[in-house]
Amino acid sequence: MAAFANILLGGVFHAAVLFLVAAGLQLIFGVQKILNLACGSFYALGAYFGITFVSLALQFGVPAWALLPLLILAGLSLGLIGPPIERMLRTVYDRDESFQLLLTFALLLMFQDVFRFLWGANPLSIEANYLVYGKVTSGDFTVPVYNLLVIAAAIMIAAGLGAFLQKTNYGRVLRATAENRAMAEALGVDVSRVYAAVFTAGTVLGTVAGALVVPTAAASLDMAVDLVVEAFAVVVIGGLGSMPGALAGALIVGLIHAFAIVVYPELELLATYLIVIGVLLLRPAGLFGKQAT
Amino acid sequence: MSALLEARGVGKTYGPFRALADVSLSIAAGERLSIVGPNGAGKTTLVNLLTGLLAPSEGEVYFKKENIRGRGPVELAERGLARAFQLVHIFPKLTVAETIAAAVITRQKKRWRLFSNLAADQNIATRVAEVARIFGLETRLDTVSQLLSQGEKKLLDVASAFALNPEVILLDEPTSGISTAEKHGIMQTLLAAAERAGVKALILVEHDMDLVAAYSTRIVAIAEGRLLADLPPQLFFENADVIEIVVGKRRHG
Amino acid sequence: MKRPPQILAAILGASALAIFPLLAPSYYVGLMIPFFAYAIALLGFNLLFGYGGLLSFGHAMFIGFGAYGAAVMAGVFGVKSFELVLAAVVVGSAIAAIPIGFLCVRYTGIFFGMLTLAFGMLFHSFLFKFYYVTGGDSGMRIPRMNILNLEFAQYNKITFLTGPFYYYCLALLLIAAFAMWRIVRSPFGLHLRALRENPRKAEYLGVHVRRFRLTAFVISAAYGAAGGTILGFRIGLADPELVYWTQSGQLVFMTVLGGSQHFLGPVIGALAFTFLQDQLQSLTQYWRFVLGAILAVLVIGFPAGIAGWADLARHRPKARGAAA
Repeated sequence: MAAFANILLGGVFHAAVLFLVAAGLQLIFGVQKILNLACGSFYALGAYFGITFVSLALQFGVPAWALLPLLILAGLSLGLIGPPIERMLRTVYDRDESFQLLLTFALLLMFQDVFRFLWGANPLSIEANYLVYGKVTSGDFTVPVYNLLVIAAAIMIAAGLGAFLQKTNYGRVLRATAENRAMAEALGVDVSRVYAAVFTAGTVLGTVAGALVVPTAAASLDMAVDLVVEAFAVVVIGGLGSMPGALAGALIVGLIHAFAIVVYPELELLATYLIVIGVLLLRPAGLFGKQAT
Repeated sequence: MSALLEARGVGKTYGPFRALADVSLSIAAGERLSIVGPNGAGKTTLVNLLTGLLAPSEGEVYFKKENIRGRGPVELAERGLARAFQLVHIFPKLTVAETIAAAVITRQKKRWRLFSNLAADQNIATRVAEVARIFGLETRLDTVSQLLSQGEKKLLDVASAFALNPEVILLDEPTSGISTAEKHGIMQTLLAAAERAGVKALILVEHDMDLVAAYSTRIVAIAEGRLLADLPPQLFFENADVIEIVVGKRRHG
Repeated sequence: MKRPPQILAAILGASALAIFPLLAPSYYVGLMIPFFAYAIALLGFNLLFGYGGLLSFGHAMFIGFGAYGAAVMAGVFGVKSFELVLAAVVVGSAIAAIPIGFLCVRYTGIFFGMLTLAFGMLFHSFLFKFYYVTGGDSGMRIPRMNILNLEFAQYNKITFLTGPFYYYCLALLLIAAFAMWRIVRSPFGLHLRALRENPRKAEYLGVHVRRFRLTAFVISAAYGAAGGTILGFRIGLADPELVYWTQSGQLVFMTVLGGSQHFLGPVIGALAFTFLQDQLQSLTQYWRFVLGAILAVLVIGFPAGIAGWADLARHRPKARGAAA
């Protein structure tokens, strides 16, 4: 039972991080109809920068328990790169979707060397110890409090995003623009500002996710590229453009990941791709998405 | 005369909503049938059922005596049932010649020729030139479709349908978007072209009652999902009740 | 799409390629073998992308089929004849592409891209995980084979690659290009383009949308595998990284670089990319950044690629029609 719970929590933690990245992807896709391949780069950027930021902070005497807020801050501050990148993407908005995809792919390539330049080719680990928050133990079952905090943070962000999109005026504006850009414009919505805001939000979700993950995993060059495939699996399963889909998809992928490692290691990634293919074939709209061909 | 295209008691239901119910009609060679009716009355549904885009919830549709259930537009095009749409459909980056050639290739059953040189095929080239001439597009053969004028695009759209040499062709509001002055000219071009292309029967979906009156041999009115009338023009226009429903106002005389 | 000018360009290009080994240092000649491999693979890819309008993010999978197929046939089964291996691998890849393509061509646009990416990664993880068969991370060895039943034993690897094998690959490229030229200029080719432009209208003109897309997919798989065999032979190894999704992205890059709306665009792209990458790698360790920047500039400013640019230079703008 304890083993099961451990795996479950591990999967949920993984899902929490995936959810944040996927939410960013869904936001950008839902409103701007761009599939952002560079989401992996934002994730890695958050991770690398998170490490640097925390190291600096600790050097300046910031107490160890500030780890979580520091990481979140690191992620949030990276939002600054959102607007300039969105400006660049703006040049291809009315082009064929292949070109949009290619441009985000170009960004992915460029970021790889940016990481290499700033942080070197070897994986980096954070100095701070996430166990500063302690562990929760119950018999054989152990989980670091940090993981629980991250899961809690993800849940809060999910709820917050949901409320924001459904209940606030700006959320309504976003949904309207997503539904029908031309109409929104005709109704006076400043679409370019909406796009800039949405892209930045999507970026921040990715960078925060990356930052939150570093206490438990090293930051590496492979991170960006590997994440893209996982994130894409999440949005396909959940349904392109859907927030509840991001949640459901993240949980499914996270849990498969966790259980597969234990049950049948060979099948770990294979299982994910098989499910992605299955979903694309049987129900291409995913669990929560709208029909598309 | 045997029916080329026939609908027997067709109906279409979407959940609780009945778009069309119990419509029967048939078209034989030599007929020019116009389908009229207010918007949302089920005209489009009927047309989609007749051309195989939708499967009937009840009843059957027969083309040349064969049930078309399950047959898509591609198969029907091969068998001789063509359709041109109200909204102009073109291949933006293909030239006029290429667009017509696409239809001719189907007609001449050369689709699977992977290695033969299209440009050198005289049979296709001659036929393409022929069709272009009928529609007055022979000077625009090498023009890329997206550069054509709206009227030319319309002609091309219809021309490519005719190039299939269909036995039955369905024209969906062929003169929509065309100025009133030109409407009759276009209709006459279309009808002349149909004859030269060997089309046996024509179905028109039209709102312009003048055109309907002038060019149909029979008029079918659809209202509220039902067949309201199936009459030759004279009888049709004498029936004030039908006219009121279709046009929305009483016509006197 | 274009007539005589393409043929002229092709003749000039082929002649230039023929005399290249006689003029250039052997290092650069050696670079050309991967170029031939990618050129062939991309000719196939562009049938799907430029002519068919379908962007696949999994084409590297077929290159992988080629390389691994060669490893199995030559390495495991000891087949010595390159022609035999090539034929078997091409046919095998085409057959494998049928079910995959059947599933993928039901969609277009992003969904097609995602499905192909998923299949590509499925293959990648398959290679990685079943390492006891595929060698996993270390890949599978591809031994030297005989071309035209000749051993060329007197040549060492370098002189073989820059000599007889170079001309052999050039011949393969010419044959592959000729076949593709015929396909593209055939009635099927026109229908494929009609499909790309307006699938709905194409259906009404009797074009079997899915069947034709599937055909294009299978042909592209065959070409991909052919390229993979050459590539694998050159490297001597079939490696799972050949199949990773970013490799597929790179293939798209090469095609767009050369120009997807021109028949020779992919070939030009493969050439340009090969030299570009080589030169950049010797200039800076951050060559990936430069390549990415070039791709970005390309997408934003020159979507028609090198071939499209050459068109403008020749003062014959392709009536906004066929430009990317």
